[in-house]
Amino acid sequence: MAEGALVDRLDQTVDVILKRGDATAALRDPELAPLARVAGDLRHYPGPEFKARLRARLQRSTTMSSAIVTTRAREGFTTITPYLTVREAGLLDFLTRAFGAVETYSTQGSGGGVHREVRIGNSMIMIGEGGPVAAVPFRPAEFHVYVEDVDAAFQRALDAGATSIGEPADRPYGERAGFVRDAFGNHWFIATHLGGSSVPEGLRTVTPFLHAEGAARYIGFLKQAFGAVEEGRHDAPEGRVMYARLRIGNGAIELGDAEGPIACMPGGFYLYVGDADGLYEQALAAGAKSLSPPTDQGYGDRVAAVEDSIGNHWFIARPA
Amino acid sequence: MTATTDDDRPLIEAAQADPARFAELYDRYVDRVYAFVSRRTHDRAAAEDITSEVFQQALAHLDQFEWRGVPFVAWLFRIASNAIADRWRRNARESHDPPADVPDTHELEELERRIILFQLVDRLPDVQRQVIQMRFVEDESIREIAAALGRSEGAVKQLQLRALENLRKGMGRRG
Repeated sequence: MAEGALVDRLDQTVDVILKRGDATAALRDPELAPLARVAGDLRHYPGPEFKARLRARLQRSTTMSSAIVTTRAREGFTTITPYLTVREAGLLDFLTRAFGAVETYSTQGSGGGVHREVRIGNSMIMIGEGGPVAAVPFRPAEFHVYVEDVDAAFQRALDAGATSIGEPADRPYGERAGFVRDAFGNHWFIATHLGGSSVPEGLRTVTPFLHAEGAARYIGFLKQAFGAVEEGRHDAPEGRVMYARLRIGNGAIELGDAEGPIACMPGGFYLYVGDADGLYEQALAAGAKSLSPPTDQGYGDRVAAVEDSIGNHWFIARPA
Repeated sequence: MTATTDDDRPLIEAAQADPARFAELYDRYVDRVYAFVSRRTHDRAAAEDITSEVFQQALAHLDQFEWRGVPFVAWLFRIASNAIADRWRRNARESHDPPADVPDTHELEELERRIILFQLVDRLPDVQRQVIQMRFVEDESIREIAAALGRSEGAVKQLQLRALENLRKGMGRRG
């Protein structure tokens, strides 16, 4: 066979491989077959530009996160700890009965309230309880909590006073999940991951879930303000964010667009960082509103507070 | 060349102590992860998205990687499998991506063969490498490549043939 013909036959084969990913016909041609096999393998060749782009992005995020992630975090905590505020006692009891929460620390605050820290699985939650009402803007929040047996945990939550907002069922995103509202108005998306382990790779027992109007824009804010890294995202065809998972330091939050009855429920987050002053400035530059500048607290942490565009309060803290 | 678990250990410990060192692990494994993901997705954009997700997650959770005799690359493949499965579940109505699985021995051999091939592409004469990248990565037609390189379509087809022959010979030498 003349080489000219081989040149054309090869090019037609490459066309077929690129369009249909299949070179079966070419494999019957002894002259073409070895080249077609190489061409088939080249479909999986990663583009050098893509590799360089991703390398640069990873390097940017390591430079950024090294300023965010503290190497002196308090034991058992990650970068993000949800901070729930309630007017009266009872939330700890609910969390204990529904999710086996254990109180690890509590102290009387100067304003007469109680500060509690509780562990659920391998996650921590802070609770600010009581105190002068004006100083405690009580706002319920939303959480995704992974358990071994969603049906049992769902029932325990109801027994502990929660109301159902969705019976446990197998969900199309690979979880069996049921939804409840506790007596304080917080939403708990109780789930068992169906992929082998009950908690998916990369998540802990409890992950705060935010619904934001304009979620895509809000994700941009989190990246700019706190160096958040998008770890997964699913957009609806018209562009609405159905689900996104972001990492800040070594903590995670999940979010989606608020719509219809699913409203924005802003909460509070305690953020352990290496440089509270630097991150406070970075958050303001990204559009956050200052609630209080960095100040050394009596308990040792240096803490600043900001409010973001959807009303979340971020307590940016360098631990003692 | 297959990197062994022992070779990885100092690199992983360095990256766990200083995330800026993660780039070395990335350079070592990006081709494998991409090739693994690419085999399970139906287009280059999806393969690139998932590969990005895998390395971002690996970087974020590097402190959770523990030495239990599991090679680092197997950990990366598991993150990739989960990412593919998650995407597949979320897009179940729109996509034809297969559910994820872990590679068997046959696939691992195929992956290693492809890694060698990709290294050979990087060593092709410049113009042959350009043709391969434009054709296979950027999905350009012979006509588009000819216009970009200022050559005739016949010359570009010849370059494509020479490049694939060189790659085949290179693979042959490696058994």
